[in-house]
Amino acid sequence: MNMLLQGPLVLRPLYLFNVMHLPLFFLSDSISRLDQKCLFNSSHSRRRGQPVERDFRQHHNQGVWREVQEERRQESIPRGVCLSMCPIRELQDREAQNLLHRFEVLSGTERERWPRADPSGVVKEYARPAAGKDSTRPSDLRPPAVLLKTVFYLVDNIAASPTLRPWTEVYDFVFDRLRSVRQDMIIQRVSGADCVAVLERTVRFLIYASYRLCGEPLRLYDPRINDTHLQESLSWLLECYTSGKHPNQEEFQALGLLYNLGSSRATQHTMELPERIRSSPVMHLALSVSRAFMERNPVRLLRLAHSLDFLQSCALHRHLETCRRDLLLIYSHGHSSKNCRFPLHKLAHILALDVPLTNQLCQAHGVEVRGDYVVFSKTSFTEPEAGKLQCAHFHDLVDRKQRDLTVGSIIHGCT
Amino acid sequence: MAHITINQYLQQVYEAIDNHEGSFCAELLSFKHPHVANPRLQLASPEEKCQQVLEVPYDEMVAAHLRCTYAVSNHDFVEAYKCQTLVVQYPFGISGDYFGYIFSSLPIPEGFDDCRMIFQAEQQLLRKGKGKLGDMLEKAAEQLMGCFRVCASDNRAGIDDSKKWGMLFLINQLFKIYFKINKLHLCKPLIRAIDSSNLKDDYSMAQRVTYKYYVGRKAMFDSDYKPAEEYLSFSFQHCHRSSQRNKRMILIYLLPVKMLLGHMPNHQLLRKYDLMQFADVTKAVSEGNLLLLNEALAKHETFFIRCGIFLILEKLKIITYRNLFKKVYQLLKTHQLPLDAFLVALKMMQVEEVDIDEVQCILANLICEGHIKGYISHQHQKLVVSKANPFPLLSSSS
Repeated sequence: MNMLLQGPLVLRPLYLFNVMHLPLFFLSDSISRLDQKCLFNSSHSRRRGQPVERDFRQHHNQGVWREVQEERRQESIPRGVCLSMCPIRELQDREAQNLLHRFEVLSGTERERWPRADPSGVVKEYARPAAGKDSTRPSDLRPPAVLLKTVFYLVDNIAASPTLRPWTEVYDFVFDRLRSVRQDMIIQRVSGADCVAVLERTVRFLIYASYRLCGEPLRLYDPRINDTHLQESLSWLLECYTSGKHPNQEEFQALGLLYNLGSSRATQHTMELPERIRSSPVMHLALSVSRAFMERNPVRLLRLAHSLDFLQSCALHRHLETCRRDLLLIYSHGHSSKNCRFPLHKLAHILALDVPLTNQLCQAHGVEVRGDYVVFSKTSFTEPEAGKLQCAHFHDLVDRKQRDLTVGSIIHGCT
Repeated sequence: MAHITINQYLQQVYEAIDNHEGSFCAELLSFKHPHVANPRLQLASPEEKCQQVLEVPYDEMVAAHLRCTYAVSNHDFVEAYKCQTLVVQYPFGISGDYFGYIFSSLPIPEGFDDCRMIFQAEQQLLRKGKGKLGDMLEKAAEQLMGCFRVCASDNRAGIDDSKKWGMLFLINQLFKIYFKINKLHLCKPLIRAIDSSNLKDDYSMAQRVTYKYYVGRKAMFDSDYKPAEEYLSFSFQHCHRSSQRNKRMILIYLLPVKMLLGHMPNHQLLRKYDLMQFADVTKAVSEGNLLLLNEALAKHETFFIRCGIFLILEKLKIITYRNLFKKVYQLLKTHQLPLDAFLVALKMMQVEEVDIDEVQCILANLICEGHIKGYISHQHQKLVVSKANPFPLLSSSS
């Protein structure tokens, strides 16, 4: 409370009342720079030319102080000069403290007490911004060209590597290092083609990972964290697309729509795209899938899903569970009768699953199977127990599209 | 008003404050009042003059207001917006008691009445290539949120002086901004605040109409059609007869909701409010004519997308299927309808790539939603409908 009273109290008693209202502004974490200027550019400081404003801010919390500093530095955006994937300082620090990752260690020195760094393999790691820490030192920032080179290294030598195992560890490493790349981009306000190239690969990687690691235990892979970062990167990418021409735009608008199937926000965004993008074949297919989902026509949706390519199927796959559940629900009501005999193989065909899996799915949903026939009944349908059904078992629709695609080609987009 | 001098103007402000004439004071600071067109008041630095006549903090406030008129006359909306925010900050520096009741409702709303100014500032920034869309609006929203919090937490003054009267107005402005920047989830806490307030039915009708309009639109977006219909109908009925433009805006959202519940508008209504875009859609849905529906949606696509109702109108397809299939039932005059008949009907409507499996799915969906009473027999490839009222009224089954 002391700091709040320091400024205004000096000058006018009336403002004692003011101060009571101020905490509301302080507690709000949405206080903008404009707010502060209005509040503290009060008459006395301007009239008498006193630096009350500056003193006050110095006692205010760190975050706001940094914001003010940043504002003053706005004219000078940091420009990185580090030409390697990792700043020398960090490499030396981590090597000395034995904090190198398994993939960054010079081969042959892994078993030693202090493994040595492989300069061609160390990549700058993500570090949370902290008070008092300067994350804008040019020697620590990598310029856009180096960032792109780093991404290529991560994709070709780590993510697509046929020898590095397990893939959960590969994912962790690439995820973290890509996050650091994005951080460098944010600090340097990178935009345009470089930014787009990095983000496109990031999004493809995260979508691929969401499929490949689906079903892994939570301690090894958290789908929620993957989703958060995927959505962030996707939003940023779509924002970049609003200026300039980008050849892959349709691909990513479609991926965004499929990944966020059912979201009114994503669908509305797509509807507002220019006609020529919406009418491209890839968007047209994605929109048809979206429409089928909105109209609750799972038969049509699953049929259209056959035409999607591998990465699109990866983006869609987490919605397939809902889709199949919808189908069983609708059919339970629509075919509900005592004499119902719906062929099991027919149901399997519609669900794009094999017969044993269809059987398993029906049982989980309370749908009765008698030999080769399914007996639908609206009263017997139930929601499956949480965790009973494992999405990973039902991946066939996506699996068979991978064929001989390499991870590298999937992420770089040259399929 | 349009020809007074700066001194006369300041004198009027002074007297208004001195005599506690809240509403007159508000007018003198409002952009709807003719004084803003007076070139003698459009000054770039009126601080000196204001200090001579008025006390702190009114001098600052009025000076900011005058700077604002100057900026607007120069079409510099960014500067105008900045001045306007300053104007609004000052009333909150004043505690209740002596000054409170002057500021309890009016200057605050007046200061922000011109959300138009904010939008214009936004446009200017965009044209200059600076700032992202929504930057300025987000900042304005933050300001308004600050004002709102002060109003909401005002527990000191009596009910007549309370700042709580400003709440609904501020909320309406915030809604406007949130809808514009497409962040509807931020509306929820505001709605909760009003729902729990005991003043909610005592605000002016104009404010309540606006409030229900936005809440209705939000409900629509969340697919809660029954509450959406309630809110929007209230808004429409209580909206003043002379505000044709506002009534039209409400109708744009009320019509799709009503259509989803099975109530089709008549042509007179559409013509009266210049909403003939809905005419074809209405006709298609009631006839079960999918082809016409698709054509109508495509024809007025831009209009519907801009209003944000395209996706909801697509939901009318279900109703159209129901009406189409009802016709098939009426034609065949039997309770055991071959699935093929429906397939033929859909093919006639030029629905692409539809097969018998999809027909089953669509029919099953209609049964599931309660639009058809019956069941499908896969073995006999027939739809067996109930002998009594197989196609219940839409309003009862939604």
